[in-house]
Amino acid sequence: MAEAISLSKADLTVVPAVPASVAVPAPEKSETAEKPRPARTPRPPRPNYRHIHRFPLPVNVHHVPSVIPHNPLSIISVALSYLTFLIYPPRQEIYTAYFDSATSSVHVTGEKTIRALWEMGFFGKGSLSRSEPNWLEQEKKRRGLMGGNTVEEATRKRRAERRQLKLERARHEKLAVEERLKAEAAARESGSVDGLSIDGAAEAAAISVERFSVKRAMEARYLERRQQAIQNKNNSESADSLQTTNGSSGHFSPAVEKKEIISNSTATLQSIEDDLDLDTLENEEHLQLSTEEAFFLVYALGALRVVDRDNNVSIPTPSLFSLLRHHSYYPARHDSSSLEADDPFMISYVVYHHFRSLGWVVRSGVKFGTDYLLYNRGPVFSHAEFAVIIIPSYSDPYWSETEERREYADNKQARSWWWLHCVNRVQAQVKKSLVICYVEVPPPDDSSEDIGAELGRYRVREFMLRRWVPNRTRD
Amino acid sequence: MADADEDAVRGTTVEATQIEVDLSDETQDFRLLNHLNFLTDTSSSSLPRRGEKDFEPNPTEFQADVLSASRQAMHNALAHPRLHNPKTQVIAIYAPEGPPPAPAVTPGQDTAKTPSRGASVSPDACVYVPSPKGQYFKSMGQADRKGVIWLLPEEALYLLERGSLDIRWPTSITGGTTVEEGSEEEEEKLSIPMSLQAAYTCLIGRGGLTLERFTVFSSLKRIGYAISRAPGWDESTEVDDSVDEHSRHAYTQPLKRGAGLAGILGSIFNWINDPKSTSSTAAGPVIGYGIHRNYADIYKKLALIPWYDPTLTPTRNSLNTSSPFRVIFYVYKPSTPIKKSALPPPDFRIAVINTREQTTAPTLPELSALLESTPLDPPHGEKMARQMYMRLRHGYRNVILAVVDQGVTSFLRVADVAFGKERLYEGANVPTGPKKGGNFRKKKR
Repeated sequence: MAEAISLSKADLTVVPAVPASVAVPAPEKSETAEKPRPARTPRPPRPNYRHIHRFPLPVNVHHVPSVIPHNPLSIISVALSYLTFLIYPPRQEIYTAYFDSATSSVHVTGEKTIRALWEMGFFGKGSLSRSEPNWLEQEKKRRGLMGGNTVEEATRKRRAERRQLKLERARHEKLAVEERLKAEAAARESGSVDGLSIDGAAEAAAISVERFSVKRAMEARYLERRQQAIQNKNNSESADSLQTTNGSSGHFSPAVEKKEIISNSTATLQSIEDDLDLDTLENEEHLQLSTEEAFFLVYALGALRVVDRDNNVSIPTPSLFSLLRHHSYYPARHDSSSLEADDPFMISYVVYHHFRSLGWVVRSGVKFGTDYLLYNRGPVFSHAEFAVIIIPSYSDPYWSETEERREYADNKQARSWWWLHCVNRVQAQVKKSLVICYVEVPPPDDSSEDIGAELGRYRVREFMLRRWVPNRTRD
Repeated sequence: MADADEDAVRGTTVEATQIEVDLSDETQDFRLLNHLNFLTDTSSSSLPRRGEKDFEPNPTEFQADVLSASRQAMHNALAHPRLHNPKTQVIAIYAPEGPPPAPAVTPGQDTAKTPSRGASVSPDACVYVPSPKGQYFKSMGQADRKGVIWLLPEEALYLLERGSLDIRWPTSITGGTTVEEGSEEEEEKLSIPMSLQAAYTCLIGRGGLTLERFTVFSSLKRIGYAISRAPGWDESTEVDDSVDEHSRHAYTQPLKRGAGLAGILGSIFNWINDPKSTSSTAAGPVIGYGIHRNYADIYKKLALIPWYDPTLTPTRNSLNTSSPFRVIFYVYKPSTPIKKSALPPPDFRIAVINTREQTTAPTLPELSALLESTPLDPPHGEKMARQMYMRLRHGYRNVILAVVDQGVTSFLRVADVAFGKERLYEGANVPTGPKKGGNFRKKKR
């Protein structure tokens, strides 16, 4: 197994250099692996993320020159800096977004604002991108206006390659089974009944060896294919012929293959259309902020103002607060309906604010089945280490006063073991630590207009959950 | 045949050594049992490895052969005669009434001679071993003053199940010829052995032993852990210290600006930085529109939400928890030296939950009470001091939930953490290096 892997790696590095010698059988290639590594096409340098994302929040910070006790001049420079700020206070940029009541989300369309909110604190998500709003760039690259690859393209390519490998594997396994059947039939005809069953285990070894060689052959073959594909492209052959030569065998259903062919042909059609409107490429993407992000930017940082889309009037913070609380239900509640202490927005915002105030970059965890993901500094720097699920807790005596309330609270805080195991297993698979975040819901209180006081009544408590495997803690 | 299998074994060594693969999740290839030599040779220490999987049936005879070979191997392993050497046979007697009550100790007489003996036999013990021998009694059983070892029902059942103990029905039940007190050997010869079924019937349900608890006990015992009952075993003993309010005080309040000179100076600087005092937690923005000097101050101002600080709560009495969220087993690693008379603090504390009775995951009060009943175990050591993620994952108190769903046990480690105690914005925790390298753990998917 280990040999096979190292060999395939050697192949991978060598093949681009020797396009003509693809027919060379796999075992001989290990010799060529000793050759010096051919120079790869230089990768475009990574952007300097440290510089781009040097501000953790979209708020300007002005450092004061430090006071040095034995240097009286330093005091003057400090005083001067304070004076300049008094006379000419620096302007804090306030960005604009609008609230879309139909989708209960906050949209940002200004190009500058989108970049600012993404670069300083990783707020929002591009509506047409995976995460960072880079649709325009992606589109330009796709149409050949810019060099390099986008992350989305890299993912797509990786997935296609993996799929191809799987098809190849399935094909080889099918071939192996067919050969085995033929051999068995031949053995049966020749009359030697015991030829197969007696040394069945010996054949087990044979087939496992065979399987590894299948893997090896498969990889060599795959590389060969890729080489061909590149050549085909260079000769500007149509993509469809490539499709038919490639893995249409194997035992994937014909429907899947057909779909692939269709998608391929539409892609070619698309590229023809693209050639027509190269000049008129406009950014059709906007940044979508979650309600928690928007409210944090407005209420906590004062870096954003949310505008009502209908009448272009900026929404004051208290009204935005109740608006978002009403819109945290589906369908959204009417403005006149009363606010509840356990509005979903309240509970999720409390947790969002809590982790943001500790310096974490909080982003949605929906792709891992959790409420939030916690990034240290930001997604471009490191993977999220923690995944947070939120469970409301109704431990205040108010919630157990009457039978009706008790039932309501029980309903709201009950989670099944199966759900918990599911979430936990997924997090283990993606190597994240699961954090259960309980939010204690206070009794309802309508009198308060003070948002800070309202938020302060909620309490947050975190637990770390992970599987315990007794076999691994025995030492 | 054996050679061929070993070839297959060698092929899969790489996969088998990957710790990320959970061995318990794999299907077993029982053909490997064929060349297990522990049955004949106890000196060999190599464990069997697993073969390769076929994921779907195909019409080849080869696959059918492999399957039948595997079945045959399992059959052979099960059919292997298991012999009990009469020298190592341990005989125990079932005592449905439990141990005799300890005689009232006359002061000054017995206590000086044998202070520890006899006093420690649990009233739940119901099987006694008149002449104990072998290694099992190092971590199991309690001796009474006569040197007879009394076993708890789960211990007796576990030993019976693994063939290390021969439990006999007492003569009081079988009604055999009454034997004189001294001739125990006679009694052993005449008594009737108890079947496994009978043992399950008699012992499960005795003194709070449920099938779930026994499943957890025996599965941990089998892989080498030593286990003792925790004080919370008996569900009926509940103490109410009325400390429920304790956890309420453990929440940090948002910090208020202090009085005194520092407070005055602070407010002056505040005024300079934000002369119109736009900072307001009531209507926002919390940090105001003024001039900010550094991000740490901004983050400090943002701290509005009270969070739980586990170091502030006193440890509550472990009996002040409600079933099933209470610690019932103390578990010791195989490496921990155990002395039955003076048990060290356990390595793990386990609560056993039956999902068919407790259908929902714990709520905050339940989990909070359970964790408060365990001692404070803050992160320690040089490695933890260096790595924030490790500190957070370790937590301040921890407990293990054994969630048994109709015989399938999942162990979950729950730890009390406080993200609020790790201020990420202070800069010391900033990881270095690019994303690809994997800063703290292995590469992620």
